[in-house]
Amino acid sequence: MAVPETVATALDDRAVAGKRCLEAGAGAGSATLGLLSEGAREVFAVTNDREHAETVRERVGGDGRVCTLEADLREVPLPDDTFEVVTAHALFNVVTTAELPAIADELTRVAAPGAQLVVDDYAPLPESAAMADLFALENAAGELATGRQPLTFYPASLLRSVFESHGWTFERRRTLLDPVPWTDSHVQTHADVAREAAASLDGDLGDALTAEADRLVETIGSESAGEMYSLAFRFDS
Amino acid sequence: MQTRDLGATGQTSSVVTFGTIALNWLEQEGANQLVELVLDHGVNHFDVAPTYGDAELKLGPKLRQYREDIFLGCKTQERSYEGAWQKLERSLDRLGVETIDLYQVHGLEYEDELATITAEDGALAAFREAKEQGLIDHIGLTSHGNPGLIRDAIDEIDDLETLMFPLNPVVDAKDSEEYDYDAVLQRADEENIGTLAIKGFAKGSWPDTAELPEHERSYANWYEPVDEPDVIRDRLNYVLSRGVDTVVTPGDPKLVKMVLSAGDRYEALDEAAQRAIVEDARHAESPVPEQLHH
Ligand SMILES: C[S@@+](CC[C@H](N)C(=O)[O-])C[C@H]1O[C@@H](n2cnc3c(N)ncnc32)[C@H](O)[C@@H]1O
Repeated sequence: MAVPETVATALDDRAVAGKRCLEAGAGAGSATLGLLSEGAREVFAVTNDREHAETVRERVGGDGRVCTLEADLREVPLPDDTFEVVTAHALFNVVTTAELPAIADELTRVAAPGAQLVVDDYAPLPESAAMADLFALENAAGELATGRQPLTFYPASLLRSVFESHGWTFERRRTLLDPVPWTDSHVQTHADVAREAAASLDGDLGDALTAEADRLVETIGSESAGEMYSLAFRFDS
Repeated sequence: MQTRDLGATGQTSSVVTFGTIALNWLEQEGANQLVELVLDHGVNHFDVAPTYGDAELKLGPKLRQYREDIFLGCKTQERSYEGAWQKLERSLDRLGVETIDLYQVHGLEYEDELATITAEDGALAAFREAKEQGLIDHIGLTSHGNPGLIRDAIDEIDDLETLMFPLNPVVDAKDSEEYDYDAVLQRADEENIGTLAIKGFAKGSWPDTAELPEHERSYANWYEPVDEPDVIRDRLNYVLSRGVDTVVTPGDPKLVKMVLSAGDRYEALDEAAQRAIVEDARHAESPVPEQLHH
């Protein structure tokens, strides 16, 4: 299994070898894999999603250096001052503005003095991008179904100032992808999230949102749009 | 079309090289028209081989008409001195020309072949004699084999002037050493060896012949190609941005025109855009199911 270019590029100027790492929001395990292949001593891969935790175990759990932990990053059961490397690869786009401060507090609390932090995420899409319509639909359906907005695209400058205000020193910004290739399968998978939320709504509204998801998949196909960036910080206190 | 120095050969090649295997699928009249079209786009580097069906014969008439404007690469799969001489003479004869500009060892695949061609009675001895006699100008090598073997060849063949090898984002998305053609490119650059990319437009292998018989394939290529103009353009921009000197057109005439048009409009991609194309190719090749992110 190959480390995606995005992860490899975000880590290639970081010192990971021999370090104790926290992968915040382990998702599909890509960043965990990247940390391992850079020679991490240990990787704690944390996610609040049981299926993701299983995926990560399946993909990289065979490596004795990985510990997969199912927990909420707003209140993570890990000790203070522990991790020398913290990564949040494509985490914050699934974190609402209400949840963001608590997660930033926790990532800072568990970071060891001198720790490095890598935050990779998507810049807000240009309004002209058709993908922006699909994400808006996903958010509308999700909000109606659960009261929670599934996606938030933070500008790099915003995440930078959040972590600076927590005592992190900004080191660099890199562009990982520009444009971002939203492939057929990305489009389908995001549409499925919207459809699933729509299906739980009663009557015409659910049907209308489902029809709109179908229409968007049809018109978008695949699209290259937006930017994925990487921010790196150091914890000096 | 833009041009680049082909290593230290003194030749300046168009960023697109015409892979003349495409002529094999056409009648003579169609072949003549395709050569004219290719030249109109400013392509000045052609590549042929005796194993490409009738390509040498069909290229002949227009090649002779425009001989001065065309840098001609040809190749041989013979590994012995005798065999290489015979094939060279046969190619000169079938092409109907006095000289070949670049003569290449074709399709090096195994270690023992490298030993054979570099031996006293090996193909390269014939290449060198032919060069002294003015029948060929430059010596090259082509391979879609192990990148390590190609690097060994660079070390062992002092007068090697060009290399032709696969380069595309699908291959670049794979991590293992057996796909590390990037290392070949770097090594070639260090030695100032000219570089030609093949398989630049490959999407993947064709389905098994049990599933899709050979005659039902939609293109006359060794591999299943990308075939949308935008994707072809991305691929060309990608391969040339990696730093190879020139990219060889795919084998099917239908695709040659799209590649020429992309070549006319070549634009360098920065690294973030190159990564975007690698990630795109990776997802197309083996989509991670349920993947929302990159
Ligand atoms: C898009 S994935 C990140 C991709 C992943 N970093 C990778 O490299 O494959 C986002 C992950 O963050 C997790 N997540 C979101 N909010 C969380 C929270 N409050 N606590 C723990 N995990 C959270 C999600 O469950 C998901 O596993």
